[in-house]
Amino acid sequence: MRLLVVEDDPELGRRLTERLRAADFAVELATSRSEAEDWPDVGRMGAVILDLGLPDGSGLDLLRHWRDRRLETPILILTARGSWQDKVEGLNAGADDFVVKPVRFEELLARLNALFRRQQGTRATTIAAGDLALDPVARTATLAGAPLALSRQEFRLLHLFLRRAGQVLSQTDILDDLYALDDEREPNTVEVLVGRLRRKIGRTRITTLRGHGYRFDK
Amino acid sequence: MRWPVPGSLRLRFLLAVSLWVLLGIGAIWFSAVRIFSHHVEQSYHEELEVHVRELGGLTEIAPDGRIVLSRPLSDPRYAEPLSGFYWQVTAEGRAPLRSASMTRGRLDESIAHSPEILHRLNSGPTGPAITYGYTRKGPAGEDIHFVISTDQSELDRLINSFTRDLTAWLAALAALLLATGFAIISFGLRPLDRLARAFARLRHGETEELEGRYPAEIAPLAADLNAYIRQNEAMIARARVQAGNLAHCLRTPLAIITDEAERLAQHDDSRAAGAVLLDQAGAMEQQIEYQLARARSGAGRKPSGRGVVLPDVVLPILRAMERLHPGKRFTLVSGSDQRAVLPLDPVDYTEVLSILLDNAGKWARSEVTISIDQPHAGGCTVAIADDGPGIPEAQIPQAFAVGTRFDPEVAGSGLGLAIARDLCDAMGAELTLANGAGGLVARLHYPSTSGE
Repeated sequence: MRLLVVEDDPELGRRLTERLRAADFAVELATSRSEAEDWPDVGRMGAVILDLGLPDGSGLDLLRHWRDRRLETPILILTARGSWQDKVEGLNAGADDFVVKPVRFEELLARLNALFRRQQGTRATTIAAGDLALDPVARTATLAGAPLALSRQEFRLLHLFLRRAGQVLSQTDILDDLYALDDEREPNTVEVLVGRLRRKIGRTRITTLRGHGYRFDK
Repeated sequence: MRWPVPGSLRLRFLLAVSLWVLLGIGAIWFSAVRIFSHHVEQSYHEELEVHVRELGGLTEIAPDGRIVLSRPLSDPRYAEPLSGFYWQVTAEGRAPLRSASMTRGRLDESIAHSPEILHRLNSGPTGPAITYGYTRKGPAGEDIHFVISTDQSELDRLINSFTRDLTAWLAALAALLLATGFAIISFGLRPLDRLARAFARLRHGETEELEGRYPAEIAPLAADLNAYIRQNEAMIARARVQAGNLAHCLRTPLAIITDEAERLAQHDDSRAAGAVLLDQAGAMEQQIEYQLARARSGAGRKPSGRGVVLPDVVLPILRAMERLHPGKRFTLVSGSDQRAVLPLDPVDYTEVLSILLDNAGKWARSEVTISIDQPHAGGCTVAIADDGPGIPEAQIPQAFAVGTRFDPEVAGSGLGLAIARDLCDAMGAELTLANGAGGLVARLHYPSTSGE
């Protein structure tokens, strides 16, 4: 899943990006308000982690700007401003959660996962489809109760399919979710990954739509 | 017109004006009565003197030796029985002649003992009387005594009637002067009344500064106060910005330290060092949060500026809480449709309410109810109830201690209630926790300030 981190402190930005990547997210980093505002596909991000104190403007204004343009991506504010006035203002401006620095990484991760679950309209940690179940927090997947051995990329792909079950996902959609923009992308990566996943979860679950992409059937 | 209260400028003016009017009118009354009485007495006496002369002029001795008048006296009152106007002419060896009005008694002739007209107060046929008299030699060289007498009550009646009329008119004039005096005071003090009302609105947090235009004498006072208010507001705003900047300066490096500590704690050879760093970073974070919350506080009570408007201030907090605690229902129950304005700092009040609602949201199973009781005379109680597990009674006092966390699994710093209690103390509000029917109930009570 792709995340956009908007953080002006270079050291903190680097560390956050590193740890989120280690937790299997594809992370993009914007270091200013203008860079974040010009980001081409914020709408297709899994979530945005937004700092409020940016050098060229307020993160709160950026948040309002996005929400005014009907951007529905979950946004988590991660800021040093810890007053309740800031929190109330941030949440009312359209943030989905508000976390004050410093935060333990596990807590940040738990809050992000809670955001994803909330967006899918479920409060359960596990996403299930038929006898297939995936727990993004525990990073485990089971088929008919038996644990599945998935590589990191396979897990992320399955997570994406489960989140958007029934929808047609193009190769670009899949690549965007799995890789950050500056990562190297092989054109046949998706085909290879889908093939590997089919072998592990069953051939019939993922339908190929020629010229359109793939669809995970519920 | 407003009723004057003890110690007020209005009462002072009213007393001064009343005294001024009463002294003035009293002096007019006294001198007018004196002058009039004197004048009336004088003309009265002159008239009697004329009458006694006329009596002398009209008196004749008839050929048979009787005393007769050539014609009646010109004043008809001497002819009416007991009219109070009497005359008498006596001469030795002759029958006395008396006025027709004198149907009884006689006049004392001793006043008429010299050719010069004399007068004194005597007792007459109908009470005390002013008596004039003189003597003249008769044809036989005998003394003829002429006496004219008028009841003193007649003069008194004249003077009393005048005094009564004068008193009535002067009383009316005094009432008119007092009424106009009071009206002038009211008119003159109206700017001060407006100032007092503007102060009250300011004190109750309904306005942000002293509103209205005032006369030249008090305009500088209002302007200075407004300048002071703005300065004060700016100082608090600056303190908050500085607190925010300080938070940013401290928390960003602390976030990096925490991250480094977490990384260290993941490796066997640096686990202990990482744990120590994490502990210390946690302690630092707690101190930063606590001290910054205190630095942000506007010292609670609002000396000026717009205060807390209930229930308006609650609504954005509830919307924020619904986002922060999805799946939990936040319900507002207001005891009245009316708005209440509390003279408190809205930022501090928001902080306290948010802490209480966030706590309730964390512990509630499904529902948090915030109820505002009927606001009365500036006072108000807000109760926040959750349907969570509550706190054992014995542990309630500890809940307000810095760093108390009842469940380490529930996110939080353990500072919320300590900060809320500090802010409440500064605001003059009372914060209590109690186990209610369904869970914990936090009550934020702000007493009425109308008595101040």
